[in-house]
Amino acid sequence: MHIRSNEFKARAAANLGDAKLQKGLGLIKVKAVVNRANAVAEFGDFETLREAGKQIRNRALADLDLYLERFEREAVARGAVVHWAENAAEACRIVVNIARENGVKTVAKSKSMVSEEIGLNEALIEAGIEPIETDLGEYILQINDAEPPSHIVMPVIHKTAEDVADLFHEKHGTPRKTDPAALTREAREILRPKFLSADMGVSGANFLIAETGSTLIVTNEGNGRLCTTLPRLHVAITGIEKVVPTLEDVSTLLRLLPRSATGQAITNYVSLHTGPKHIDESDGPQQFHIVLVDNGRTKLLAGEMREMLRCIRCGACMNHCPVYQAVGGHAWGWVYPGPMGNILTPSYVGLEKTVPLPNATTLCNQCGSVCPVKIPLPDLMRKLREEQMARGLKSWPERLGLALWGWAAQRPALYALGTRIAARVMKGLGGAEKLIHRLPLAAGWTDGRDFPAPAGKTFRELYREKRK
Amino acid sequence: MSARENILGRVRNALNRKASPADTAHIDAHIAAHPVGMQPPRDWEPELRFRARAEALASTVEKVSSLQAVPDAVARYLVVNKLPTSGVCWPGLRHLDWIGAGLGMEDRPARGADLVGITGCYCAVAETGTLVFLSGPDTPAATSLLPETHIAIVDTARIVPFMEDAWALVRAERGRPPRAVNFVSGPSRTADIEQTVTMGAHGPYRVHIILVG
Amino acid sequence: MRVALFVTCLADLMRPSVAFAALRLLEHGGCTVEVPQTQTCCGQPAYNSGDRATAIALARKVLDEFEGFDYVVAPSGSCGGMVRAHYPELFRDDPALLARSEGLAARTYELTDFLVNVLRLDSVPGNFSGTVTYHDSCSGLRELNIKAQPRALLAKLPGVKLAEMKEAETCCGFGGTFSLKFGAVSTQLADNKCGNACATEADAIVGGDLGCLLNIEGRLRRRGDRKTQVLHIAEVLAGQSD
Repeated sequence: MHIRSNEFKARAAANLGDAKLQKGLGLIKVKAVVNRANAVAEFGDFETLREAGKQIRNRALADLDLYLERFEREAVARGAVVHWAENAAEACRIVVNIARENGVKTVAKSKSMVSEEIGLNEALIEAGIEPIETDLGEYILQINDAEPPSHIVMPVIHKTAEDVADLFHEKHGTPRKTDPAALTREAREILRPKFLSADMGVSGANFLIAETGSTLIVTNEGNGRLCTTLPRLHVAITGIEKVVPTLEDVSTLLRLLPRSATGQAITNYVSLHTGPKHIDESDGPQQFHIVLVDNGRTKLLAGEMREMLRCIRCGACMNHCPVYQAVGGHAWGWVYPGPMGNILTPSYVGLEKTVPLPNATTLCNQCGSVCPVKIPLPDLMRKLREEQMARGLKSWPERLGLALWGWAAQRPALYALGTRIAARVMKGLGGAEKLIHRLPLAAGWTDGRDFPAPAGKTFRELYREKRK
Repeated sequence: MSARENILGRVRNALNRKASPADTAHIDAHIAAHPVGMQPPRDWEPELRFRARAEALASTVEKVSSLQAVPDAVARYLVVNKLPTSGVCWPGLRHLDWIGAGLGMEDRPARGADLVGITGCYCAVAETGTLVFLSGPDTPAATSLLPETHIAIVDTARIVPFMEDAWALVRAERGRPPRAVNFVSGPSRTADIEQTVTMGAHGPYRVHIILVG
Repeated sequence: MRVALFVTCLADLMRPSVAFAALRLLEHGGCTVEVPQTQTCCGQPAYNSGDRATAIALARKVLDEFEGFDYVVAPSGSCGGMVRAHYPELFRDDPALLARSEGLAARTYELTDFLVNVLRLDSVPGNFSGTVTYHDSCSGLRELNIKAQPRALLAKLPGVKLAEMKEAETCCGFGGTFSLKFGAVSTQLADNKCGNACATEADAIVGGDLGCLLNIEGRLRRRGDRKTQVLHIAEVLAGQSD
């Protein structure tokens, strides 16, 4: 996917003014946020569950090599083929080769953020193979000229039913309808034959279970099951960090993930896949391939961002982020939006291409407080800001301002004088209204807000006066 | 150096570990012990809990006293809901008196045009109101997935309290999971459009559960 | 009880009345309050901007200035959070400074937390009369668990009626330099906060952090509201002076 993260500010501003988008985004607070809160309340001691989830993910990461090797051994013993891909290009090459070697013409895709990350659809199309998105949200995006998703769980959260009605009417040539149930039915009828005729199914994997060499996916629509059962080949593609030790460990995580993502106690389908089909089975793929992708994850493991690898892709952070709620996921300009995107995007594609992202947050920590595996998201964002500072990626006005402030704040007498002057100047600017409407160098503030004028004397001088 | 070696090498460096062979005793022990993690409090009776959760997730549930009573129960359900009275069933259910109940059920895996699929299940999880299916020659997956109406027959003796109990059952009875284990918790659904939940996405529109016990 | 007042750079420059109110409340509670004269800034702006070196320099200065007091009290969840939650992290590589910062962190309190949980005030001198709605600042709420304390104190004022706003815990959009760098988004969040606050028809919007209050008031006035007051909780609790 083309990286447009450096355009964050412009895209965010445009999205703030987009009334239709704002209507779609407005639903997050009343649906996703409320649904999660209800599920958490209904569970009971969700805090202890979060801690348990954190421990399970940390356990896997602490011995990631050993668990990956165990996973591979078990998976291969059960007849799966395990591939390793260092980067996006390699991962695409592997999948395209599997397709080519098996005469694959069509691929039915269940939702996979890693497949977005590596640009799989483009690679398949270039190789003359047709990818068909089957998740309703991803399907809507695909027929809309391959528009990128704006959320990792609800890909078309930015669209209204009217938008989808227009799109289906145009692309399917069917009578226009706005009822979500009717639109869903239409998609079902269009996609059903594709499931039945696809040569290969591609899925992600929410988790890899080392104990049994299995992949696990959580879905609601049934497309995940169809993609991984009907076609003669199944390819599961995911990041190396997804490995989890045991079935019991994944059960704990299954209590956290759906509640955090959609407010469900469990997703409609949970599918555990281990090896290809047996000779006496009537359904199942003849071949089961698992592609383990690095693409920057080992770099995260080695650095200060390691805790980010605990992420189980629930989307709670972006649902609760006031910035995401205001501007929507496309402003982030790549695969991963919101708080997790503030960390993953710079980490995976480079700080230079993502300068605004670690700064596009107030560090309010609404994200960290809902993260099911307790990733300290604001702390990681702050660390990226430190890296930006060290690499000279901060604008010179900001660096100068901070340097000046820091220098003066270490010199109390100078600071006292400077603040006395500033207090009087700003009081003057505020006039009788005691409000400043324009402040030089602060258009970001004063374009939309007044600045309350200060009292005119600093506390320091008033306190001194009082003590005399 | 293969991609595999490069990736594992970088992981080992990140973890400050020397090259393999590493001592895997601690991970082997954890996997062998597979301790159960945090579960919600069990302040319910499994059958009642299963039923309550399944209904909350939009399945319909009824109970009969024996397997013999199932065909009539199925017939009642299909007729009342104005659904087709023919479909497919699992091989293990072939011997039930479908014809006597006025139904035409074929013992074969479901195909695209089949509208009613009748299955048993491996077990059911009370915690979440979930049906558990194991793949195999006698349990074709398509039957619970392709038809618009899925009817599942659940032996109440196979209702277990928690998800972990289902795994334990699989280990005890089969040794290891088969190719596919599917947890099914109601009709297929999506909330992709305006976060409005609608039933009947790509899988069944409705799930009817008949408890036997 | 020797208490040092951490004035905060915003109170010093923008609203001394907040610091005087804090002083009054602490003395009302029986403390001997000192105001270290050379204090300037806790270092949070530098820290949050990624300028670790400046943050450390300012933090070291604070460690020196606030040595030897029984307690350090700040009318700010931001500054309080910086000292309690982040100073130890700043000094993670220096055992001696780490120990001192942990010592300081343990003695540092946000104002309302101190008044309720250490001084256990029974009464407050203020006489505010009217409806107020309370904005929970992010640092105070999520770093220091400031939630019940201000409400408990407001309940001690017989003339005050508390009307909770929707999304009281949602960020107002200030975020320090965020308010300048991402002004459009920041303004939208401030507008959301104003909308929620005004819907309560409260006479005053009250909070514990001047950064938030300046942001909220700034948007409120630009919206044309000259009526609703925006007050720091210390000002409400301490009443008018002079």
